[in-house]
Amino acid sequence: MVDVETQSILVVGGGMTGLTAAIEAAEAGREVYLVEKNPYLGGRVAQLHQYFPKLCPPYCGLEINFRRIKNNSRIHVLTMAEVESVSGQKGAWDARIKIEPRYVNEKCTTCGKCAEVCTMEIDNPFNYGMDKIKAAYLPHEMAFPFRYVVDPALAKSSQGQSVKEACQYGAIELDMQPKTLELKVGAVVWATGWSPYDAKRLDTLGFGAYPNVLTNVMMERLAAGNGPTNGKILRPSDAQAPKTIAFVQCAGSRDENHLPFCSSICCMASMKQATYVRAQYPDAKIYIFFIDIRAMDRLETFYADLKKDQNVTFFKGKVAKIEQDAATQNLVLRVENTATGSLNTINVDMAVLATGMQPNSSISHQPAFASRDDYGFIAAQEVTPGFFAAGCTRTPINVSESVQDGTAAALKAIQSVVRR
Amino acid sequence: MSNRVDPNLIRELEEYGLKDAAKCYNCGNCTAICDLSTPENPFPRKMVRYVQLGQKEKILKSPEPWLCYYCGDCSIRCPREADPGETMMVLRRYLTSLYDWTGFSKRFYTSEKFETMAVAALGLLVGLGMIFWAIANHALIDWKHADVSSVWSTEGIEKADLVMAGILSFFLLTNLFRCVKLVLGDYFKKIPLKMYYEEIKYLLVQFATQKQFDGCKTKGNRQRWIAHLAIMTGYATVFLLVVIFVNGLPFMGINALKFQRGWASMGHVNEISIFNPIRLLGYYSFFALMYGTSYVIWSRLKKTQPQFKNTHSTDWMFLILLQATAITGILINLGHIFDLAFFTYAIYVLHMMVAIPMLVLEVPFAKWAHLAYRPVVLMLMKVKARYVAEYEPAKGAVLAPEVEAAV
Repeated sequence: MVDVETQSILVVGGGMTGLTAAIEAAEAGREVYLVEKNPYLGGRVAQLHQYFPKLCPPYCGLEINFRRIKNNSRIHVLTMAEVESVSGQKGAWDARIKIEPRYVNEKCTTCGKCAEVCTMEIDNPFNYGMDKIKAAYLPHEMAFPFRYVVDPALAKSSQGQSVKEACQYGAIELDMQPKTLELKVGAVVWATGWSPYDAKRLDTLGFGAYPNVLTNVMMERLAAGNGPTNGKILRPSDAQAPKTIAFVQCAGSRDENHLPFCSSICCMASMKQATYVRAQYPDAKIYIFFIDIRAMDRLETFYADLKKDQNVTFFKGKVAKIEQDAATQNLVLRVENTATGSLNTINVDMAVLATGMQPNSSISHQPAFASRDDYGFIAAQEVTPGFFAAGCTRTPINVSESVQDGTAAALKAIQSVVRR
Repeated sequence: MSNRVDPNLIRELEEYGLKDAAKCYNCGNCTAICDLSTPENPFPRKMVRYVQLGQKEKILKSPEPWLCYYCGDCSIRCPREADPGETMMVLRRYLTSLYDWTGFSKRFYTSEKFETMAVAALGLLVGLGMIFWAIANHALIDWKHADVSSVWSTEGIEKADLVMAGILSFFLLTNLFRCVKLVLGDYFKKIPLKMYYEEIKYLLVQFATQKQFDGCKTKGNRQRWIAHLAIMTGYATVFLLVVIFVNGLPFMGINALKFQRGWASMGHVNEISIFNPIRLLGYYSFFALMYGTSYVIWSRLKKTQPQFKNTHSTDWMFLILLQATAITGILINLGHIFDLAFFTYAIYVLHMMVAIPMLVLEVPFAKWAHLAYRPVVLMLMKVKARYVAEYEPAKGAVLAPEVEAAV
């Protein structure tokens, strides 16, 4: 007779990889705990406007996954939760999980009364701080769990009480405390994903100093219908339609001073974003500044198609410096065209930095035995018997590859608990 | 146009100190970050590319190495740690050796052994010469009071100086002529002499102030510029004092500027006032040289900034000889002040043993040569731009490409 408790699987990270691993393992009959730091599942994918190369919205795939979770009683979703420690061995892992207070319980109907009353505003993390939201908020329309969150600052403020009273369902609990949960599991899947590289470190490119310098993840939000501009791509400085847009590839990638590796997705991401611009502005001039275009395998077709656009210029050369024209807040890019050897200054209305993927395993804590490679990834799939790394924790990959890697990790985790 | 590839170029340049140029993946970041790079003369990536592709002839004709003052920004920002700034430094050494038609420079740069032997041999030769001269002159030597002129007459030194200056100028100017011809290419014959003449002032200003150096806006550059200027002005001043004014200019009746004076010639005092302008100039040289060389030696030992990380053997040789020249120089002055005859004479011999190799080897054949190449090439670029603007306006548009044209 197998011990049910230690046959269970802990999946850390509720992004595309972890979500997939959890669902696949649960549908194969395992008990799964899915731990997610954010108040919602879906990770970076939930913040995308469209996938490449099909240019379809990610909500569609996420919705299917959320449905699979709802239909499966074996998945235990823990949001606003982080793993504090993991110890033990194959078949007998002890995990301590800390759950931050959401201040909203399961009685929430997302009626939005709390937000109506609330006047306190916070930077919207879902839109990378490009707009403000009420401190009592639904992270986004498709959030799963579909439940409001009260920011700790609001919960502790004098306004907290009036927000609580606005809720007719008794869903707001201002005295909710952080909780620690001890779990015993048979296998662990570590899928903590990535963060966009901190563009402020690229001190010659003006991010943070010049409002019209954005990052690629911000561009996704700008194009998304539920983003800060309701899907209109506008210059942050004056909310005007940009006539020329620069995509600056390898912003901190393939760079020994920043991320020495290629994130492999940014070329495709920028080319995809060029299609967002084209869809809204048929005449906008688009520059893509690159060292090498890396559109692998069949994705090459996407590149070839975009090259046919007369107003898209693929410019071979790394942008070294961005300066701002003080009067217009237009941007001046200094870049060498390495194909012709000429030095250029190019004026654009807006620049999008294609920042790379910094593995979260390089910036947050994890078990000491999970050794990282030179770039901070936990490169091995089976880190140690019964402990598996998956997705962008292992290597920078795109969404479909994350799904594959999550599935692979689920299979490995199942094998590891079954074969004991 | 022929375009020969020299597959051994990278290996050849390694002897001049090249290390990381092969790492470059040609993103162009260095050229676009450089404060001195211009559409007419974009660098340093172009030069790194020439190195990778074995384009020896193109390098030979390139002015760019002389337009770079090695602020190091390109190396700091290089995503591949390919150290483009150091490649430019290596190319300056390489070009110095290619301009030199005697082949001496090449051996000096590429063989540490040759370099050491050349300096040592010349030093010893000078030392022996000085001693023989003293022996031949022994009857006149003043052993009671320090008076260098009693051992080695100022007139004799002056004659030797002028002969040496003549030989040095011959080598330096012939090398410089080759530099000018190579850098200008076809323009050498086209540009009217008048245009050069009109830019002489620019040449002199650049020579004296190295203003272009201050065009680098990198952190710490101002201090490097000052140290560099201190070394240059210190050396130039002392060069004038000991080579031109060692005996004043008696044929022009300017005896007041006489640098080397002795007990006898001054009417039995051991030293003129230390506040005498000619002495003050000497002290300026000493302090400027000591400040400049100490700053650079310290920086090179500590490897504080990119340009100090890689030190070629010729860089050490240059700094050591320079500092030794300054120190022995001031000791001669002290020997005279404290009236220590033997000490002064011994130091004087030592001084000549370091100062003459410094002058004879470094000025036409090695590091000091850039004193001439840099401002001259800067001027040539200005002259060429003027010529193109005046006579070939259509070509000017190509030199400064429009964005659209480049894309």
